Amino acid sequence: MRMMTPLSWLIGLGLMLIAPALLGGSGAVYSAFVLIAIFAVMSYGLDVIVSDLGEVSLAHPVFFAAGAYASAIGSSRWGFDPISTLLLAIAAAAIIAAGIGIVTLRMREFVFSLVTYAVTVVGMTLAANWAFLGGSDGITGIPVFNIFGYSALTDRELWPVAWLLLVAALYLVRCFRRSRLGQEAMTVHLNPRLATMSGIDPHRVRIQVFLFSAPITAAAGWLYSYQRAYISADVVDMYFLILMLTAVVLIGRRILLAPLIGVALILCQEKFLSFGGYVDRIILGSVLIVILSFMPRGLAGPAFDMLRWIKRRAKNINT
Amino acid sequence: MVFSKVARTAAAAMMAAGLLASGVQAQEDPIKVGVIFPLSGGAGPQGKHVNWAIEAMAKMINEDGGVMGRQLELISRDDESTPAVGVSRANELISEGVDVIIEGWNSPVTLAMQPVIARAGIMDITAISKADPILSGEGNPLAVRLNSSNAQDGAVIAKFIADAGATRIAFLTENDAYGTGAQASIEASLKEMGHDYEKVAEELFPFDQADFRVQLSNVKSANPDITIAINANEGLGMPAIIRQAKRSRLPGTLVAAVGTVAPSVIEVAGDASEGLVGADIYFPNVEPFASNEVNRRFIATTEELHDYTPDKFMALGATALQVWAMAANEVESLEKEAVANRIRGGSFENTLLGDITFGENGQLNSNHYIFDVTDQQIVVRDSAN
Repeated sequence: MRMMTPLSWLIGLGLMLIAPALLGGSGAVYSAFVLIAIFAVMSYGLDVIVSDLGEVSLAHPVFFAAGAYASAIGSSRWGFDPISTLLLAIAAAAIIAAGIGIVTLRMREFVFSLVTYAVTVVGMTLAANWAFLGGSDGITGIPVFNIFGYSALTDRELWPVAWLLLVAALYLVRCFRRSRLGQEAMTVHLNPRLATMSGIDPHRVRIQVFLFSAPITAAAGWLYSYQRAYISADVVDMYFLILMLTAVVLIGRRILLAPLIGVALILCQEKFLSFGGYVDRIILGSVLIVILSFMPRGLAGPAFDMLRWIKRRAKNINT
Repeated sequence: MVFSKVARTAAAAMMAAGLLASGVQAQEDPIKVGVIFPLSGGAGPQGKHVNWAIEAMAKMINEDGGVMGRQLELISRDDESTPAVGVSRANELISEGVDVIIEGWNSPVTLAMQPVIARAGIMDITAISKADPILSGEGNPLAVRLNSSNAQDGAVIAKFIADAGATRIAFLTENDAYGTGAQASIEASLKEMGHDYEKVAEELFPFDQADFRVQLSNVKSANPDITIAINANEGLGMPAIIRQAKRSRLPGTLVAAVGTVAPSVIEVAGDASEGLVGADIYFPNVEPFASNEVNRRFIATTEELHDYTPDKFMALGATALQVWAMAANEVESLEKEAVANRIRGGSFENTLLGDITFGENGQLNSNHYIFDVTDQQIVVRDSAN
């Protein structure tokens, strides 16, 4: 990715914007692109925790749900516009993230993951039973996305918004990795002792990274609520957790486009090569198991090895 | 000059012929009917059965000349009982150019699909899903639903309690939106009828519970006249309640909430189901359905196609298609607004459910029938409620 110039980024993102039209422009194509963008943004929030901080958070479906519910309640009950609901979604996720960050301050690895999983279980139960969140019936009546006179009644009209959100998420993660906080997170990840000796407070870094990560995932939930126009407890479903985790590790960690490509591959399988609900979930879980067990560097690892080998061979032949 | 005039005339004639041909082609193209139910997972078998029923009804309609002279073509999708998947499948059908979508096994899936289908301007008929917000107009201002609502179901059970003169009532209720909503509907109807009663026990349990001995022990000690069992888990929970209630020698009558006792429940519960009281809106081989010509033809077609006798859910799916076809033929249009307005508040004769009417909000006004279980058979009482 380092080889990519700003111009190639612009061309790539521009091509992505017009890709649905180039692929026929049907409603189903636009829907697929909108969902890929939303779920990719959802996964970028988890990506910085897994790839940079080196922890596995299982609480990210709660941030996604927090964004979706905040947006649904804000728009349908209080009449907030999309900008206000976005701020509400970010605030809700940040508060939850701060709480989790403080509680898990001194926990690492297995215990940390277990506690974050417990948070998701609590979230699922609350979403399904709390009347304020609509209980098992969920929240209806979410209005059409309307901002500065631009109304997105269909996925075709929502696509530019989803694309913008995706570009914003890519930019934020890129900036994070080049920032002091991003460098500190990597140091804490790779060598906590060295980090402490270098004057880095791992607890502060963890909370800051959590506070950076949660709003990204919540922003995806925010747009998802407008796309679906209805939110229920299924947004905290394990499916979203497995989708996020698989998307993050499938291609490889710390590769900027990896979660986007991962989500696109998974959704394409579910959409065009679907074997039914349960079989698709088994496939998704199996991919996660295989990648974590046998390909810790993701699909990009062997691909990079192959490229290096080809380059070496070419060099040897030339010499 | 003359040449150009001839050329213009010829071009105009060719265009007219082309338009006419395309018009004829459009008339001959089949009408696409979208069908979205779970076809995999826990509710997959039931969803497949509803698909079979809609297929049988489409065959009957096509044999009778189709809709506005055009044949029906079904396009079926699996919502996997997941709202997100349902939305995705609805978008696929919209892209396929369907004129109507018949959907709805799980309420959250229906609620998720409604706004998407409504915004696309396509007629959306909910066959089974029961949640009250489906008819609120928020997701689909022109909603139509076939299955009975919680309020209708509650009124039927309340009338049974009042008619039986029971005053000591116990509730065994599934602790979720469906269960608590159904109980609230029964209690609201009892109050509306002015029937004095005492709630002697109220036991709540999660959807997947199978051991009810503690709850039944509490209910038994309260000595109720009637115990209302509200449990939508027909595969596990309801047969377990029936068996364990019999074993615990529960006093009074055990009454199952409307639509929760399918023949499969009685089969699993076995002898313990003797004396159970329930209520439902369709029984394939019991009067008044047994003598209904349309129903008999529907049963015969379904059995011919799939060697399977239709149940209530299948009848509702088939009726959804039949009513839509009748309305479209009558208003001579496939436009959502015209068809929906004909159905909402309208009445239809000779459907497979008999002569039926719809409320202004799109809810089918169901006729409920109280039944007893005798010798492991459903025996419908004489009058409809």
